[in-house]
Amino acid sequence: MSALNRRAFLSRSLYGLGSIALTSLFQQQAHADERWRGVITKPHYPVKAKRIIHLCMAGGPSHLETFDFKPELKALDGKAFPKSFTKGQQLAQLQNTTLKARGPFTEFKKWGQSGQEISMLFPHLGSVADELAIIRSMHTEQINHDTAHAFMNSGSIIKGRPSFGAWMLYGLGAETDNLPGFVVMTSQGKGGGAQPISSRQWSAGFLPSRFQGIQFQARGDAVHYVANPDGIQPHAQKADIDDINYLNGLLAQRVMDSEIATRINQYEMAFRMQSSVPELTDFSSESKATLKRYGIEKTGDGTFASNCLLARRMAERGVRFIQLYHRAFDHHSNIEKDLPIAAEETDRASAALIMDLKERGMLDDTLVLWGGEFGRTPMSQGTGRDHHILGFSLALAGGGIKGGITYGSTDELGYKAVDKPVSVHDLHATMLHLCGIEHSRLSVKFQGLDARLTGVEEANVVKDILR
Amino acid sequence: MKYLVPILFATATILPTVTVSGAEKLSYNRDVRPILSDACFRCHGPDEKHLKAKLRLDNREAALKKEAFVPGKPAESEFVKRMRTEDTDDIMPPPESVRQLTAAEKDILERWIAEGAVYEPHWAYVQPIKSPIPTSKNPAWNKNPIDAFIHARLDKEGLTPSVEADRRTLIRRVTLDLIGVPPTPDEVNAFLADQSPMAYERVIDRLLASPRYGERMAVPWLDAVRFADTVGFHGDQNQNNFPYRDWVINAFNRNIPFDRFTAEQLAGDLLPDATTESRVASGFNRLNMMTREGGAQPKEYLAKYAADRVRTLGGAFLGSTLGCAECHSHKYDPWSIEDFYQFSSFFADIKQWGVYADYKYTKNTDLKGYGNDHPFPPEIEVESPYLLKRIATLTANSEKIAQAAFAKHDAQHFSAWQKSLRDFQQTHPAGWAPLSVSKASGKRKGKTEKDTYKLDADGTAIITAARDSDVHLIVTTAPGWIASLRLQLAPVVNNSALLDDTKTDNKHEEEDQEDKENSKKLPVINVALLHTPKGSEKPTAINFRLGDASDKRKRYNQGHEILGLDGGWFITHKIAQTNASATFVLDHPIQLQDGDTLTLVLKKNVLSAARFFASPFIPNNLASGDISAAQWQAAFSKPANSFPGALSYLLGTQFDRAAFSQVAAAAKEIAESRDGKVMTTVSEAMEPATTRVLARGNWLDESGAIVTPKAPAFLPQIPNPDQRRLNRLDLAQWLTSDTNPLTARVFMNRLWAQFMGVGLSASLDDMGLQGEPPSHPELLDFLAIDFREHKWDMKRAVKQILLSMTYRQVAVQRPEIVAKDPANRLRAMQSVRRLDAEFIRDNALAISGLIVHDIGGPSIKPYQPSDYYANLQFPSRDYLAHTNDQQYRRGIYMHWQRTFLHPMLANFDAPSREECTIMRPAANSPQQALTLLNDPTFVEAARVFAASLHQIPGDDKARLISAFERTIARQPSPEELTRLLALLAQQKAHYTAHLDQAAALLRIGLAPLPPSEQHATMAAWTHVCRVLLNLHETISRL
Repeated sequence: MSALNRRAFLSRSLYGLGSIALTSLFQQQAHADERWRGVITKPHYPVKAKRIIHLCMAGGPSHLETFDFKPELKALDGKAFPKSFTKGQQLAQLQNTTLKARGPFTEFKKWGQSGQEISMLFPHLGSVADELAIIRSMHTEQINHDTAHAFMNSGSIIKGRPSFGAWMLYGLGAETDNLPGFVVMTSQGKGGGAQPISSRQWSAGFLPSRFQGIQFQARGDAVHYVANPDGIQPHAQKADIDDINYLNGLLAQRVMDSEIATRINQYEMAFRMQSSVPELTDFSSESKATLKRYGIEKTGDGTFASNCLLARRMAERGVRFIQLYHRAFDHHSNIEKDLPIAAEETDRASAALIMDLKERGMLDDTLVLWGGEFGRTPMSQGTGRDHHILGFSLALAGGGIKGGITYGSTDELGYKAVDKPVSVHDLHATMLHLCGIEHSRLSVKFQGLDARLTGVEEANVVKDILR
Repeated sequence: MKYLVPILFATATILPTVTVSGAEKLSYNRDVRPILSDACFRCHGPDEKHLKAKLRLDNREAALKKEAFVPGKPAESEFVKRMRTEDTDDIMPPPESVRQLTAAEKDILERWIAEGAVYEPHWAYVQPIKSPIPTSKNPAWNKNPIDAFIHARLDKEGLTPSVEADRRTLIRRVTLDLIGVPPTPDEVNAFLADQSPMAYERVIDRLLASPRYGERMAVPWLDAVRFADTVGFHGDQNQNNFPYRDWVINAFNRNIPFDRFTAEQLAGDLLPDATTESRVASGFNRLNMMTREGGAQPKEYLAKYAADRVRTLGGAFLGSTLGCAECHSHKYDPWSIEDFYQFSSFFADIKQWGVYADYKYTKNTDLKGYGNDHPFPPEIEVESPYLLKRIATLTANSEKIAQAAFAKHDAQHFSAWQKSLRDFQQTHPAGWAPLSVSKASGKRKGKTEKDTYKLDADGTAIITAARDSDVHLIVTTAPGWIASLRLQLAPVVNNSALLDDTKTDNKHEEEDQEDKENSKKLPVINVALLHTPKGSEKPTAINFRLGDASDKRKRYNQGHEILGLDGGWFITHKIAQTNASATFVLDHPIQLQDGDTLTLVLKKNVLSAARFFASPFIPNNLASGDISAAQWQAAFSKPANSFPGALSYLLGTQFDRAAFSQVAAAAKEIAESRDGKVMTTVSEAMEPATTRVLARGNWLDESGAIVTPKAPAFLPQIPNPDQRRLNRLDLAQWLTSDTNPLTARVFMNRLWAQFMGVGLSASLDDMGLQGEPPSHPELLDFLAIDFREHKWDMKRAVKQILLSMTYRQVAVQRPEIVAKDPANRLRAMQSVRRLDAEFIRDNALAISGLIVHDIGGPSIKPYQPSDYYANLQFPSRDYLAHTNDQQYRRGIYMHWQRTFLHPMLANFDAPSREECTIMRPAANSPQQALTLLNDPTFVEAARVFAASLHQIPGDDKARLISAFERTIARQPSPEELTRLLALLAQQKAHYTAHLDQAAALLRIGLAPLPPSEQHATMAAWTHVCRVLLNLHETISRL
């Protein structure tokens, strides 16, 4: 059913219900019928990924020290970077400077049966190499953090566009009434390299705010306004909500506005969320072995590791899109000191999440995306690397992804994606495809145009990495 | 035969239906073009790059030339064949196209060709036409021409209008719509009692004259122009621009005509009669997002700013979506890429920077030394009426507090104080007594220094301790009151010799690490004061509550200049060579006794020579440190009912501690109000930069044609007989000229939507070919022409809509409306509308009585979840919620952080204002429920509401009735009464048994805690009030 028909149906059914049904409506415990079911009721493709966990390595991790091994670059270390590569291209902080090559400072190893090359800084991701599809030929259009994040999330640099999670929720609907369908968590690294992020990255844009990402906080209330005010016990909260809904039901009889029935349901949902969130964030049922596997020292401490475990718990409870930001990867300087710190903070938990999902039989329908908003220059910037958009790497796992393969490549110096380049729109189209959605058919009329996540130009599904 | 052509809009809340009856001839604009535009123009429209088979269907001549159809003969038309065929190779649109034609649409297109395939120019691009005012079946129902248009159409559709809403509903509706807060019970009762036929109009007139009106009208405009307190990109730093917001509010209140409103914003700096006010308005051109991100390319960001301005111009004034024309000619509308860049070139004279910093890799000498705390120039200094009023109020209050305290003064103490001042005046007529150093010690890195100081002949202390030592100077002066200290630099020796020469002003290293303050190596003078009473071993540290200097280094914190001596006296080497002085106001005055010790501590000293003074006064002018004659006079004046000496006495002696702390808090706020002067970003014209067409929006491409300011080719041109370069003023005048077909329609359509819930054309942001044709084109044209003919009078236009019967109808569904017009586009009833985010806040504050109705001023910070800005950097942000009456000001004044909008605003669909926003979606989400239930603002409103009900005489029932009247301007039904009285009883029983929980609930927010014997009752009533504040009816207007 299209949104239009669904809406018309809802309105009609409400008017048809009359006042008798209304009074009983709000007395029921659950109203699954008010859950957002999505505009795509008949998926365009088989649904491989029911949910997505995006592990965003915010700041832009170096592809040259993660997934893209370049011995030729190592050989050129400290020497002038060939001008033939860089002429006429955009630079960020390396504008107006002499460009020198910086070789990778880490060793790479072939991991698993697939023998995928992954840096020694990420041994745990290495250990799950056979689950990963590594794309070495990513490229993006935006060279600064702010706009690159916007582009990676919404496919546009014009503000007010819905983010991936909002599109997914809008398209596929929610799987739970008790938790938000789109959740965001952030953590900050202890080394250098943190950059700010913006709630625009999980905005619903021009879609209604029910599709926005809900940020879970490390401290205070997990979700804004989810805790009862001091001095109000859950039973009293329930009593108030019952009365609010009772009076709203009386109003519905007078003015017959369908929004009122929705409002009644939203209060029920809010109350359910209030009880579900504490259960979600209560780690006491998790074994010591699990905590150790993720590398969690103290549960709920807001570290990336703790957030990864929380992500798994959300996935189990039907959250559609879970996005984790670890703000630690902007290594303009001290990359040799700070990247290992950031790797240490993320490697173990990322791999633990993938294996944990796998053991629970959830990896098959959970797509995990690991990567940043861009890569880093093969040229040095003092003791670090600058932003780089012409070639970088990402990894995907689960949810219909073929594990153990490396897709595409950059040139010999890791500068430009030359073999089978993948744009951000291609990545989005691929992810939507795995969710059962033809990207060109998930659109919303906005300002007279069919606005889409993948924009107006062509976008191609990367078929080779699909199972 | 009837067709139903539904159009789905983004929010899925608007479902316009256009019904076409079989007898009537099809209208190209209304019935045909929307289909063609949506299904065909993408490949057969104005965008030449994507033109397929060289066939254009948007132009009759072109289509006929390619023999697309034969007018009047559908059977012979290729168009119809291709549309009807089942051959997948031939069918149009092609099978892979997302947009396919429905059977009904195919019928319409075929019939249109049968009727002769008549094209019409796009309705919005031709001049509005004045149609005769139609006659309807029952003219007695018409209050004004609006109703004639609406009722004539309803007659045709076989619907009847609804009855007028009852007076309670009506006054609540019109009050919320016009001023954004509900009517008070007194206002409701006055309206109920007013038997005059003019009663309703009188209410409208009162509301239009209310200063609240401007605050309400400004909200959608601020969305359109994307007004926010922060710059949006990356570090999302603060910008200084609240005077622009206040200008907008004031402009609506003064009802300046819309053409002037337009001109001042686009070109307030270029007007022949430009004023400070109009320059403030020109801040409009500076509301785009800005960046200071390291590594950002200035040229790229200048291109982004330029495109943003064009999109805003299109959205705010022309109802046109120009975003696509940045990269290519519009696919559906006649806007070309040249039009886009010609528009952009109107703004090429705006002085700005692509990146608001000076990085070593992107030099920007204009902004040398700029860090993350600096503002975003160009700015001008203006006076804020709000701050001036605030200063006056605070000053008057301080006087009052001092008078009240003085009423209880001890006469002996007072005359002793006055006598001590007379004695002081004899020896120190300037009001300052020198402090002479009697002893000193110094410590550096734990080691005691030798040779700490020597004294010059005139008492100047020459400090000889090594730089960065902590120097303790024991100073002596005659016993008596001390309220202020003064430190004067004394360049008797070469001060710079003692300053570290390697750390000079202009040699600071330019760090590329963005959060390093470039100038942190410059000297800072840190003074502390210790008072050791005679016989005591332990010194008491006396802090300073205020201070300022005759000269100091300019420093910024989060975009604002740091006032006074916060964090020390920051100087430069140049200042070190002068006689500059700094005045420090003691936290509280001290009375020095014989034998007391006074120690000045120079922490990490950089001074080489200085003189020190003390005064029993606090100079009115802290920067100069001068004690004025008026201050002396006030101190010596004779006590009377009201006399100025009371405040001097209070400040000089702290004789009443409570009064003193209130006055001191006021003094701090007065100092922070900077004499009412604030900086605000403005347009400053410079030599226009070159504007090129950027193919595909690529800023690196310098091959595009150079363009100059010009109106879009398909619209009337700007007269330019002298062939001079057109400017922003020409643009503004063109927007509001009689020949512009768009501006007046766009504004009136939006006004209609504001009061009716949906526009005459539902696509408020798109009057182009993909937008929705108006439901009542003649009415929209009537309103547009009427607006123009009445000199763009906004209040008049508003009033005309509100006076109509169409507006006054009840908002109650009827089966026949549901059946024929479920989206209520024909206006057989009023629509229920949920309040916008800001007004949901205002409503709760007003109902509870907490609301503070001041107009304008710096943005305010309501309670906000902690750590909400944790992901912001450059600089890191602390959100300090206001702890005074600012907490209760209206939503329009809330701090608007673009990257992290206050969760209450975001949950209720307020836009981030990063981009021009014309339509807010209206979600209905659990987050909204959680906000109203648990956000401390709403909990506090509920408990204060409860407390105020307690003042009402009578029983619980009487109070509950009064609560309903205050909340939703109506009486409760018996069911409602029963239900809530039961809740009250239940909660009273609970809290009586759990007083700790009652107290915990009643401690939420800043408002005072009620007396403990009332806790159980108040907490129970808080629940009842909370239910009322959460009602759908409360956050909606019926």
